[in-house]
Amino acid sequence: MATGGALPAATRSICPHCRAVLDAELHERDGRVFLRRECPEHGAVEALAYGDAERWRAVQRFDKPGASPLLRQTAAELGCPSDCGICPEHAQHTCLGIIEVNTACNLDCPVCFAESGTGHQADGYSLSLEQVEAMLDAFVAAEGRPEAVQLSGGEPSIHPRILDMLGAAKARGIALVMLNTNGIRLARDPRFAPALAGLGVHVYLQFDGFDDATHLAIRGRRLQEIKRAALDRCAAAGVGVSLAAAVERGVNEHELGAIVRFGVEHPAVNGVFFQPVTHTGRHPAFDPLDRLTNVEVIRGVCEQLPEWFCEDDFVAVPCCSPTCRSATYALYDGEDLVPLPRLVDVDRYLGFVTNRAVPDLEVAAALHGLFSASAAGGTEPTADRLECVACGVGLPAELQAIAARGFMVVTQDFQDAWTLDVGKLRKCCVAEIVPDGRLIPFCAYNSVGYREQVRGALA
Amino acid sequence: MSVGFPELPSLDLAGDPKGCCARLYESEAARWLLDGELHPGGERLTLRLAELAGLAPGQQVVDIACGSGATALLLARELGAQAVGVDLGAGAIERAQREAVAAGLADRVRIVHGDAEALPLADATFDIALSECSLCTFPDKQRAVAEMARVLRPGGTIAIADVVAEHDALPAALRTAAARIACVADARSEDDYTALLRGAGCETIAVERRDAELLAMIDRVEARLRVARMLAPPGEQRDRVREAVALARIARDEVARGTLGYLLLVARRVA
Repeated sequence: MATGGALPAATRSICPHCRAVLDAELHERDGRVFLRRECPEHGAVEALAYGDAERWRAVQRFDKPGASPLLRQTAAELGCPSDCGICPEHAQHTCLGIIEVNTACNLDCPVCFAESGTGHQADGYSLSLEQVEAMLDAFVAAEGRPEAVQLSGGEPSIHPRILDMLGAAKARGIALVMLNTNGIRLARDPRFAPALAGLGVHVYLQFDGFDDATHLAIRGRRLQEIKRAALDRCAAAGVGVSLAAAVERGVNEHELGAIVRFGVEHPAVNGVFFQPVTHTGRHPAFDPLDRLTNVEVIRGVCEQLPEWFCEDDFVAVPCCSPTCRSATYALYDGEDLVPLPRLVDVDRYLGFVTNRAVPDLEVAAALHGLFSASAAGGTEPTADRLECVACGVGLPAELQAIAARGFMVVTQDFQDAWTLDVGKLRKCCVAEIVPDGRLIPFCAYNSVGYREQVRGALA
Repeated sequence: MSVGFPELPSLDLAGDPKGCCARLYESEAARWLLDGELHPGGERLTLRLAELAGLAPGQQVVDIACGSGATALLLARELGAQAVGVDLGAGAIERAQREAVAAGLADRVRIVHGDAEALPLADATFDIALSECSLCTFPDKQRAVAEMARVLRPGGTIAIADVVAEHDALPAALRTAAARIACVADARSEDDYTALLRGAGCETIAVERRDAELLAMIDRVEARLRVARMLAPPGEQRDRVREAVALARIARDEVARGTLGYLLLVARRVA
């Protein structure tokens, strides 16, 4: 939202108890930013929006105009967030589409925003290959050449047609096709990783830490050996992996650095995605005023790995709202790790590009320039691709060509009914693709009631 | 796309110190290391220096050791100056001339080949003589300052942005040949610079310490050197880059200690 970097700032949100849409205000208190609104029925509601007011102001300069999708699926009638999606009021196209192919799972995690599980679920569903193909077609119609799609669930690896579904995504020319998985099938089925390698699929592996207590609190089971086995199978088969860590206050904040170090050193892993737990679906008790935001995650990484990272290495990704996602890219060659934002004066690029048509490409272009400056020949990646690189879709091909490995650390603070801010939501570039062809911004899907609606219709 | 770290030019510091610096700073490797920003603070600090010197539209400015002309172009474009750039590097001059034409500023920016210690310019022709991060590299600093004073009109100003060092307090590693090119080994203290200017008939009227900008530049160069170490072929070249990383870290510690810093200094020609 264009607040001009000033607080307080007016926005809209919902009541987490009855989901009524309410006027809301972002305001500063004790150096942090809170989202406050008043529900006529449930009274005042407040949640931590961002852990550092000064940094909040600083990252607003990354709030750049978005790009339009080719197609919008709904009309703007009731106003945001009740018209998803994507409606004409939405201010960004979709970088990453998510398809939840089932609700069944081979785990019953205490933390699950999708409320999946092993038992019979009266409201559960399992999509057919034809349904998924139609959803992929809807995504292609909206985006032209979509950058990335992720098949999720439930646990998508237990869907009997999952390989066909992943193949269908690849067949549509989607650059990055990901499987979001807990790794159990990868560890147990020796044919699965080679099959994913054959399709060119990237694995997004839930990986929350190493301690027993972490595993029990988030997954309900000790899965350390399964994760290691899954990763080793991916490495052997040549499957690239991003580690996805759900992080919760008081549970695994102390393991952020260890997760990054493990990823950097594991041959299959090329990035870590930290996601503060989304307090929707199943989740432990929490304090909305003292939850984790990107600020706490970044500080934790830097405090636990001071030899590698400092706070300034994390750049707000300009594609979505700047408090949603921060990322850093680093090169690692076994001897040293260098975060790339340290190589450029990011502000110099931001400051001098305000009059350009597509300013949000400039930072990525600057990073790209680091490598092209000393390079000869070859193909320049298109500006479009670079934009989605900044959204964590993948690293520039140049980085893969050198001996050093590129590594990405991302923190992504998805919104729930406590933290939903429609100003941020309008620039969301991650969408749930649903069977009727709508693309519903991920944070609206999880907070406003769309998930329940879609699931109800499919059951 | 092939990616590799460009090789540094061969340097003969003992035989030809000024030419050596000029060649280094116009090399691909140096441009990459410095991200095109050849002095701390970049354009922002250049504009601050011009402000301290009181640069007004239409005034005549000479930039000593202008490199590829970025400052001369900036002062012409942003502040309406008539700028002359002087440099020893033939490649840099050619590049600067091309860029002046490309920017449509050829009528306001002139680039000439010349030595800072014997400027090929007439007496008393400029309002401001500017030297950014270059005085520290000149072997005969008194003569270079005298040359700047000579081409100034009476009442004109010398504007210097440069590394300052408490020379005797610096560790030996920062007094080597490599450190000289990196503007450190022969940097002087604030008092020394003021004395040099006084010796040339100029009175210091403004001083501003900008160590934070120097620190940011060292951090950036250090990060780029660390990547260069990854990209360099194993062996002698990689070892040299490794030494440069170590040097950057020592320099950063010295800035933190206050023995190394960056200074904007403006003096008026009184005689």
